Amino acid sequence: MPRTSDLRSRTFRSMGTVVSLTVPAAHGLTGPEAKVLELEAATTAVEQVFLAHDRTFSLYRPGSEASAIARGELALAQASDDMRRTHAEALRWRLDTEGAFTPERPDGVLDLAGIVKAQAIMEAGTVLLALGLQDWCLNAGGDVLAHGSPEPGRGEPWRAGVVDPADRGALVSAFPLGPANSRSALATSGTAERGEHIWAAGLARTASSGFRQVSVAAADIVTADVLATAIMAGGRRTLDIATGRWDVDVLAVSNDGGLLATPGFRT
Amino acid sequence: MASAGILLAGWQAGAHIAESSASAVTTSDVNGAAAGTGSDGTGSSGAGASAKAGAAAKAGGSFTGTAVQTRFGTVQVQVTVKGGVITDVTALQLTDAEQRSVQISNRAAPVLRSEVLDAQSANVQTVSGATVTSDAYLTSLQGALDAANF
Repeated sequence: MPRTSDLRSRTFRSMGTVVSLTVPAAHGLTGPEAKVLELEAATTAVEQVFLAHDRTFSLYRPGSEASAIARGELALAQASDDMRRTHAEALRWRLDTEGAFTPERPDGVLDLAGIVKAQAIMEAGTVLLALGLQDWCLNAGGDVLAHGSPEPGRGEPWRAGVVDPADRGALVSAFPLGPANSRSALATSGTAERGEHIWAAGLARTASSGFRQVSVAAADIVTADVLATAIMAGGRRTLDIATGRWDVDVLAVSNDGGLLATPGFRT
Repeated sequence: MASAGILLAGWQAGAHIAESSASAVTTSDVNGAAAGTGSDGTGSSGAGASAKAGAAAKAGGSFTGTAVQTRFGTVQVQVTVKGGVITDVTALQLTDAEQRSVQISNRAAPVLRSEVLDAQSANVQTVSGATVTSDAYLTSLQGALDAANF
Protein backbone atom coordinates (compact mmCIF):
# COMPACT_ATOMS: atom_id res chain seq x y z
CA MET A 1 0.00 0.00 0.00
CA PRO A 2 1.49 3.37 -0.95
CA ARG A 3 1.98 5.99 1.70
CA THR A 4 -1.14 8.08 1.43
CA SER A 5 -0.28 10.67 4.02
CA ASP A 6 2.55 11.86 6.18
CA LEU A 7 1.73 9.70 9.13
CA ARG A 8 3.85 7.45 11.27
CA SER A 9 2.54 4.44 13.20
CA ARG A 10 3.95 2.10 15.82
CA THR A 11 2.24 -1.02 17.14
CA PHE A 12 2.45 -3.53 19.96
CA ARG A 13 0.51 -6.60 21.00
CA SER A 14 -1.68 -6.56 24.07
CA MET A 15 -4.92 -8.11 25.32
CA GLY A 16 -4.87 -10.65 22.49
CA THR A 17 -4.89 -8.01 19.78
CA VAL A 18 -2.73 -5.27 18.29
CA VAL A 19 -2.60 -1.66 19.43
CA SER A 20 -1.52 1.07 16.98
CA LEU A 21 -0.48 4.61 17.75
CA THR A 22 -0.42 6.97 14.76
CA VAL A 23 0.83 10.55 14.66
CA PRO A 24 1.46 13.06 11.87
CA ALA A 25 5.07 13.18 10.83
CA ALA A 26 6.41 16.64 11.48
CA HIS A 27 8.21 18.71 8.90
CA GLY A 28 10.61 21.54 9.38
CA LEU A 29 12.76 22.06 12.43
CA THR A 30 11.97 18.96 14.39
CA GLY A 31 12.31 16.70 11.38
CA PRO A 32 10.63 13.36 10.85
CA GLU A 33 13.36 11.49 12.74
CA ALA A 34 12.78 13.45 15.92
CA LYS A 35 9.07 12.82 15.57
CA VAL A 36 9.61 9.08 15.29
CA LEU A 37 11.65 9.05 18.49
CA GLU A 38 8.83 10.90 20.22
CA LEU A 39 6.32 8.42 18.77
CA GLU A 40 8.34 5.45 19.95
CA ALA A 41 8.63 6.86 23.46
CA ALA A 42 4.88 7.53 23.51
CA THR A 43 4.14 4.03 22.25
CA THR A 44 6.18 2.58 25.11
CA ALA A 45 4.20 4.67 27.60
CA VAL A 46 0.91 3.49 26.06
CA GLU A 47 2.12 -0.10 26.14
CA GLN A 48 2.79 0.18 29.88
CA VAL A 49 -0.79 1.36 30.46
CA PHE A 50 -2.17 -1.64 28.58
CA LEU A 51 0.20 -4.03 30.35
CA ALA A 52 -0.84 -2.75 33.77
CA HIS A 53 -4.54 -3.25 32.96
CA ASP A 54 -3.90 -6.69 31.49
CA ARG A 55 -1.89 -7.84 34.53
CA THR A 56 -4.78 -7.01 36.82
CA PHE A 57 -7.79 -7.95 34.72
CA SER A 58 -6.77 -10.68 32.27
CA LEU A 59 -8.38 -14.09 32.76
CA TYR A 60 -5.64 -15.46 30.48
CA ARG A 61 -3.01 -14.70 33.13
CA PRO A 62 -3.20 -17.23 36.00
CA GLY A 63 -1.44 -14.76 38.27
CA SER A 64 -3.87 -11.88 37.68
CA GLU A 65 -6.24 -10.56 40.31
CA ALA A 66 -9.15 -11.37 37.98
CA SER A 67 -8.05 -15.01 37.80
CA ALA A 68 -7.82 -15.21 41.60
CA ILE A 69 -11.40 -13.92 41.83
CA ALA A 70 -12.57 -16.36 39.14
CA ARG A 71 -11.02 -19.26 41.10
CA GLY A 72 -12.78 -18.11 44.26
CA GLU A 73 -9.52 -17.37 46.05
CA LEU A 74 -10.19 -13.67 46.38
CA ALA A 75 -13.46 -11.97 47.30
CA LEU A 76 -14.41 -8.80 45.45
CA ALA A 77 -14.71 -7.00 48.77
CA GLN A 78 -11.04 -7.73 49.39
CA ALA A 79 -9.97 -6.86 45.84
CA SER A 80 -7.94 -3.81 44.83
CA ASP A 81 -9.46 -0.38 44.43
CA ASP A 82 -9.01 -0.63 40.66
CA MET A 83 -10.88 -3.93 40.54
CA ARG A 84 -13.75 -2.74 42.71
CA ARG A 85 -14.04 0.57 40.88
CA THR A 86 -14.11 -1.16 37.49
CA HIS A 87 -16.62 -3.70 38.75
CA ALA A 88 -18.85 -0.92 40.07
CA GLU A 89 -18.65 0.90 36.74
CA ALA A 90 -19.56 -2.28 34.87
CA LEU A 91 -22.58 -2.78 37.13
CA ARG A 92 -23.66 0.81 36.50
CA TRP A 93 -23.46 0.15 32.75
CA ARG A 94 -25.55 -2.99 33.20
CA LEU A 95 -28.20 -0.92 34.95
CA ASP A 96 -28.07 1.89 32.40
CA THR A 97 -28.32 -0.50 29.44
CA GLU A 98 -31.13 -2.42 31.12
CA GLY A 99 -29.07 -5.57 31.33
CA ALA A 100 -27.73 -5.63 27.78
CA PHE A 101 -24.18 -5.04 28.99
CA THR A 102 -23.12 -7.36 31.75
CA PRO A 103 -19.75 -8.11 33.32
CA GLU A 104 -20.60 -11.70 34.03
CA ARG A 105 -20.15 -14.62 31.71
CA PRO A 106 -23.01 -17.10 31.36
CA ASP A 107 -21.11 -19.40 33.73
CA GLY A 108 -21.14 -16.69 36.37
CA VAL A 109 -17.46 -15.82 36.18
CA LEU A 110 -16.77 -12.11 36.49
CA ASP A 111 -15.20 -10.91 33.23
CA LEU A 112 -14.49 -7.21 33.03
CA ALA A 113 -12.67 -7.47 29.69
CA GLY A 114 -15.62 -5.76 28.00
CA ILE A 115 -14.75 -2.53 29.76
CA VAL A 116 -11.06 -2.92 30.62
CA LYS A 117 -9.71 -2.42 27.11
CA ALA A 118 -11.68 0.81 26.76
CA GLN A 119 -10.40 1.98 30.14
CA ALA A 120 -6.86 1.27 29.00
CA ILE A 121 -7.44 3.27 25.81
CA MET A 122 -8.88 6.16 27.81
CA GLU A 123 -5.98 6.15 30.26
CA ALA A 124 -3.45 5.88 27.45
CA GLY A 125 -5.03 8.94 25.85
CA THR A 126 -4.56 10.86 29.08
CA VAL A 127 -0.92 9.77 29.17
CA LEU A 128 -0.40 10.97 25.59
CA LEU A 129 -1.83 14.38 26.43
CA ALA A 130 0.33 14.52 29.55
CA LEU A 131 3.35 13.83 27.35
CA GLY A 132 2.41 16.87 25.31
CA LEU A 133 1.12 15.04 22.23
CA GLN A 134 -1.82 16.87 20.73
CA ASP A 135 -2.30 15.03 17.44
CA TRP A 136 -2.65 11.27 17.62
CA CYS A 137 -4.89 8.35 16.86
CA LEU A 138 -4.93 5.28 19.07
CA ASN A 139 -6.44 2.06 17.72
CA ALA A 140 -6.73 -0.98 19.99
CA GLY A 141 -8.07 -3.95 18.09
CA GLY A 142 -10.53 -1.84 16.13
CA ASP A 143 -11.57 0.55 18.92
CA VAL A 144 -10.39 4.08 18.20
CA LEU A 145 -9.66 7.19 20.24
CA ALA A 146 -8.32 10.24 18.43
CA HIS A 147 -7.14 13.70 19.38
CA GLY A 148 -6.26 16.68 17.25
CA SER A 149 -5.73 16.16 13.53
CA PRO A 150 -3.73 14.03 11.09
CA GLU A 151 -2.85 17.32 9.39
CA PRO A 152 -2.39 19.76 12.28
CA GLY A 153 -1.94 22.75 10.00
CA ARG A 154 -5.26 22.20 8.28
CA GLY A 155 -7.20 21.01 11.28
CA GLU A 156 -8.84 18.15 9.43
CA PRO A 157 -10.41 15.54 11.71
CA TRP A 158 -9.08 12.02 11.90
CA ARG A 159 -11.25 9.85 9.68
CA ALA A 160 -11.97 6.34 10.89
CA GLY A 161 -13.24 3.76 8.44
CA VAL A 162 -15.75 1.14 9.55
CA VAL A 163 -14.89 -2.30 8.29
CA ASP A 164 -17.50 -4.17 6.24
CA PRO A 165 -18.39 -7.31 8.21
CA ALA A 166 -19.15 -9.11 4.94
CA ASP A 167 -15.75 -8.24 3.46
CA ARG A 168 -13.15 -7.23 5.96
CA GLY A 169 -10.96 -5.92 3.17
CA ALA A 170 -13.55 -3.22 2.49
CA LEU A 171 -15.15 -0.37 4.41
CA VAL A 172 -18.87 0.10 4.85
CA SER A 173 -18.61 3.69 6.07
CA ALA A 174 -16.35 6.23 7.71
CA PHE A 175 -16.68 8.71 10.55
CA PRO A 176 -14.82 11.94 11.36
CA LEU A 177 -13.44 12.02 14.89
CA GLY A 178 -12.93 15.48 16.26
CA PRO A 179 -14.11 18.28 18.48
CA ALA A 180 -16.44 19.57 15.75
CA ASN A 181 -18.97 16.82 16.37
CA SER A 182 -17.89 16.01 19.96
CA ARG A 183 -17.05 12.47 18.91
CA SER A 184 -13.50 11.47 19.76
CA ALA A 185 -14.08 7.76 20.01
CA LEU A 186 -15.40 5.03 17.73
CA ALA A 187 -15.83 1.44 18.84
CA THR A 188 -17.10 -1.51 16.84
CA SER A 189 -18.42 -4.76 18.17
CA GLY A 190 -19.27 -7.73 16.06
CA THR A 191 -19.34 -11.40 15.41
CA ALA A 192 -17.10 -11.25 12.37
CA GLU A 193 -13.83 -11.66 14.21
CA ARG A 194 -12.67 -12.77 17.62
CA GLY A 195 -15.47 -13.60 20.05
CA GLU A 196 -16.41 -10.38 21.73
CA HIS A 197 -17.42 -10.27 25.34
CA ILE A 198 -21.06 -10.25 24.50
CA TRP A 199 -23.28 -12.20 26.75
CA ALA A 200 -26.81 -12.03 25.42
CA ALA A 201 -28.21 -12.62 28.89
CA GLY A 202 -31.68 -13.87 28.10
CA LEU A 203 -32.07 -11.31 25.34
CA ALA A 204 -33.73 -12.63 22.25
CA ARG A 205 -31.65 -12.67 19.12
CA THR A 206 -33.18 -13.38 15.78
CA ALA A 207 -31.96 -12.96 12.24
CA SER A 208 -34.20 -9.98 11.64
CA SER A 209 -33.56 -8.06 14.85
CA GLY A 210 -30.01 -9.13 15.57
CA PHE A 211 -26.92 -7.30 14.44
CA ARG A 212 -23.82 -8.62 12.86
CA GLN A 213 -21.80 -5.54 13.69
CA VAL A 214 -22.42 -2.36 15.66
CA SER A 215 -20.28 0.80 15.64
CA VAL A 216 -20.79 3.57 18.18
CA ALA A 217 -19.19 7.03 18.04
CA ALA A 218 -19.13 8.95 21.31
CA ALA A 219 -17.22 11.61 23.19
CA ASP A 220 -15.37 8.97 25.17
CA ILE A 221 -14.16 5.48 24.36
CA VAL A 222 -15.74 3.70 27.34
CA THR A 223 -19.23 4.85 26.35
CA ALA A 224 -18.59 3.95 22.71
CA ASP A 225 -17.23 0.50 23.54
CA VAL A 226 -19.78 -0.47 26.17
CA LEU A 227 -22.73 0.66 24.06
CA ALA A 228 -21.43 -1.15 20.96
CA THR A 229 -21.22 -4.34 23.01
CA ALA A 230 -24.62 -3.73 24.61
CA ILE A 231 -26.37 -3.12 21.28
CA MET A 232 -24.83 -6.27 19.84
CA ALA A 233 -26.26 -8.20 22.78
CA GLY A 234 -29.60 -6.43 23.10
CA GLY A 235 -30.49 -5.76 19.47
CA ARG A 236 -32.88 -3.08 18.27
CA ARG A 237 -34.34 -2.39 21.69
CA THR A 238 -30.95 -1.58 23.17
CA LEU A 239 -30.07 0.45 20.06
CA ASP A 240 -33.06 2.72 20.73
CA ILE A 241 -32.20 2.94 24.43
CA ALA A 242 -28.66 3.97 23.53
CA THR A 243 -29.58 6.66 21.01
CA GLY A 244 -32.25 8.00 23.35
CA ARG A 245 -30.09 8.24 26.45
CA TRP A 246 -26.61 9.02 25.22
CA ASP A 247 -25.23 11.57 22.81
CA VAL A 248 -23.90 9.01 20.35
CA ASP A 249 -24.01 8.05 16.71
CA VAL A 250 -24.58 4.45 15.74
CA LEU A 251 -24.10 2.42 12.58
CA ALA A 252 -25.50 -1.10 12.87
CA VAL A 253 -25.21 -3.84 10.26
CA SER A 254 -28.07 -6.32 10.55
CA ASN A 255 -27.63 -10.04 10.17
CA ASP A 256 -29.38 -9.70 6.81
CA GLY A 257 -26.85 -7.09 5.66
CA GLY A 258 -29.09 -4.05 6.04
CA LEU A 259 -27.86 -0.86 7.66
CA LEU A 260 -29.31 1.25 10.45
CA ALA A 261 -27.73 4.66 11.00
CA THR A 262 -28.24 7.73 13.14
CA PRO A 263 -28.03 11.12 11.35
CA GLY A 264 -24.31 11.53 12.14
CA PHE A 265 -23.47 8.54 9.97
CA ARG A 266 -25.63 9.67 7.05
CA THR A 267 -24.51 11.77 4.14
CA MET B 1 -57.55 7.75 26.82
CA ALA B 2 -54.82 8.48 29.25
CA SER B 3 -52.67 5.79 27.74
CA ALA B 4 -53.41 7.09 24.25
CA GLY B 5 -52.23 10.48 25.41
CA ILE B 6 -49.05 8.95 26.70
CA LEU B 7 -48.46 7.12 23.48
CA LEU B 8 -48.99 10.28 21.55
CA ALA B 9 -46.73 12.17 23.86
CA GLY B 10 -44.14 9.56 23.12
CA TRP B 11 -44.71 9.97 19.42
CA GLN B 12 -44.41 13.71 19.59
CA ALA B 13 -41.27 13.59 21.64
CA GLY B 14 -39.68 11.12 19.27
CA ALA B 15 -40.89 7.59 19.35
CA HIS B 16 -37.68 6.40 20.92
CA ILE B 17 -38.62 8.06 24.18
CA ALA B 18 -41.69 5.94 24.49
CA GLU B 19 -39.68 2.85 23.72
CA SER B 20 -36.40 3.63 25.37
CA SER B 21 -37.45 5.32 28.56
CA ALA B 22 -39.80 2.56 29.47
CA SER B 23 -39.47 3.29 33.16
CA ALA B 24 -40.33 6.93 32.69
CA VAL B 25 -43.39 6.11 30.64
CA THR B 26 -44.54 3.58 33.19
CA THR B 27 -44.18 6.15 35.91
CA SER B 28 -46.18 8.58 33.83
CA ASP B 29 -48.90 6.01 33.47
CA VAL B 30 -49.13 5.43 37.20
CA ASN B 31 -49.10 9.11 38.00
CA GLY B 32 -51.48 10.00 35.24
CA ALA B 33 -49.60 11.51 32.36
CA ALA B 34 -52.79 13.06 31.12
CA ALA B 35 -53.48 14.78 34.40
CA GLY B 36 -56.06 17.19 33.15
CA THR B 37 -55.61 20.89 33.02
CA GLY B 38 -58.54 21.17 30.69
CA SER B 39 -62.24 20.93 31.25
CA ASP B 40 -61.79 18.52 34.09
CA GLY B 41 -59.67 20.90 36.07
CA THR B 42 -56.18 20.40 37.29
CA GLY B 43 -55.42 16.76 37.81
CA SER B 44 -53.28 15.28 40.50
CA SER B 45 -51.19 12.19 40.55
CA GLY B 46 -52.65 8.79 41.07
CA ALA B 47 -54.85 6.38 39.20
CA GLY B 48 -57.85 8.54 39.89
CA ALA B 49 -56.40 11.34 37.85
CA SER B 50 -55.99 9.03 34.88
CA ALA B 51 -59.59 7.94 35.17
CA LYS B 52 -60.78 11.51 35.46
CA ALA B 53 -58.61 12.55 32.55
CA GLY B 54 -60.01 9.68 30.54
CA ALA B 55 -63.53 10.79 31.22
CA ALA B 56 -62.64 14.38 30.50
CA ALA B 57 -60.91 13.42 27.31
CA LYS B 58 -64.17 12.15 25.90
CA ALA B 59 -65.61 15.58 26.35
CA GLY B 60 -62.52 17.41 25.23
CA GLY B 61 -59.91 19.71 26.56
CA SER B 62 -56.20 20.08 26.86
CA PHE B 63 -54.09 17.70 28.83
CA THR B 64 -50.54 18.25 29.92
CA GLY B 65 -48.20 15.30 30.00
CA THR B 66 -45.62 14.60 32.60
CA ALA B 67 -42.27 16.25 32.04
CA VAL B 68 -39.89 13.61 30.80
CA GLN B 69 -36.13 13.94 31.13
CA THR B 70 -34.31 13.13 27.93
CA ARG B 71 -30.77 13.84 26.89
CA PHE B 72 -32.15 16.74 24.89
CA GLY B 73 -33.53 18.29 28.05
CA THR B 74 -36.96 18.27 29.61
CA VAL B 75 -39.77 17.46 27.25
CA GLN B 76 -43.42 17.98 28.04
CA VAL B 77 -46.34 17.90 25.68
CA GLN B 78 -49.89 19.11 25.68
CA VAL B 79 -52.56 17.07 23.99
CA THR B 80 -55.77 18.68 22.82
CA VAL B 81 -58.82 16.47 22.56
CA LYS B 82 -62.15 17.28 20.96
CA GLY B 83 -65.01 14.79 21.07
CA GLY B 84 -62.65 11.98 22.06
CA VAL B 85 -60.31 12.67 19.16
CA ILE B 86 -56.82 14.07 19.57
CA THR B 87 -56.68 17.20 17.46
CA ASP B 88 -53.37 18.70 18.46
CA VAL B 89 -50.15 17.87 20.23
CA THR B 90 -47.96 20.75 21.32
CA ALA B 91 -44.51 20.63 22.82
CA LEU B 92 -44.69 22.78 25.93
CA GLN B 93 -41.12 22.45 27.02
CA LEU B 94 -38.15 21.75 24.86
CA THR B 95 -35.33 23.00 26.94
CA ASP B 96 -31.73 22.17 26.61
CA ALA B 97 -28.59 24.00 27.53
CA GLU B 98 -28.57 26.09 24.36
CA GLN B 99 -32.30 26.71 24.14
CA ARG B 100 -32.10 25.68 20.54
CA SER B 101 -34.86 24.16 18.53
CA VAL B 102 -34.26 20.58 19.40
CA GLN B 103 -34.13 17.88 16.83
CA ILE B 104 -35.30 15.15 19.08
CA SER B 105 -34.92 12.09 17.00
CA ASN B 106 -31.45 10.67 16.91
CA ARG B 107 -33.03 7.35 16.21
CA ALA B 108 -31.18 4.94 13.99
CA ALA B 109 -33.14 4.44 10.78
CA PRO B 110 -32.70 2.00 7.90
CA VAL B 111 -30.45 3.44 5.22
CA LEU B 112 -28.96 2.31 1.95
CA ARG B 113 -25.23 1.84 1.70
CA SER B 114 -25.11 4.86 -0.59
CA GLU B 115 -26.66 6.96 2.18
CA VAL B 116 -23.98 6.55 4.85
CA LEU B 117 -20.78 8.55 4.99
CA ASP B 118 -18.63 7.27 2.20
CA ALA B 119 -15.36 5.57 2.89
CA GLN B 120 -12.48 4.83 0.61
CA SER B 121 -9.53 3.22 2.28
CA ALA B 122 -7.45 6.01 0.77
CA ASN B 123 -9.10 8.71 2.85
CA VAL B 124 -9.18 7.14 6.28
CA GLN B 125 -6.30 7.11 8.74
CA THR B 126 -7.59 4.32 10.92
CA VAL B 127 -10.10 1.47 10.80
CA SER B 128 -12.70 0.46 13.34
CA GLY B 129 -13.94 -3.10 13.35
CA ALA B 130 -14.74 -6.03 15.55
CA THR B 131 -11.69 -6.95 17.58
CA VAL B 132 -9.18 -8.81 15.48
CA THR B 133 -6.73 -11.37 16.79
CA SER B 134 -3.05 -10.58 16.51
CA ASP B 135 -2.85 -12.99 13.57
CA ALA B 136 -5.83 -11.55 11.72
CA TYR B 137 -4.42 -8.08 12.25
CA LEU B 138 -1.55 -8.86 9.89
CA THR B 139 -3.92 -9.13 6.95
CA SER B 140 -6.37 -6.45 8.10
CA LEU B 141 -6.86 -2.97 6.68
CA GLN B 142 -5.50 -1.48 9.89
CA GLY B 143 -2.44 -3.68 9.57
CA ALA B 144 -1.92 -2.40 6.02
CA LEU B 145 -2.29 1.23 7.13
CA ASP B 146 0.17 0.77 9.99
CA ALA B 147 2.65 -0.95 7.69
CA ALA B 148 2.39 1.88 5.20
CA ASN B 149 2.99 4.44 7.94
CA PHE B 150 5.93 2.70 9.56
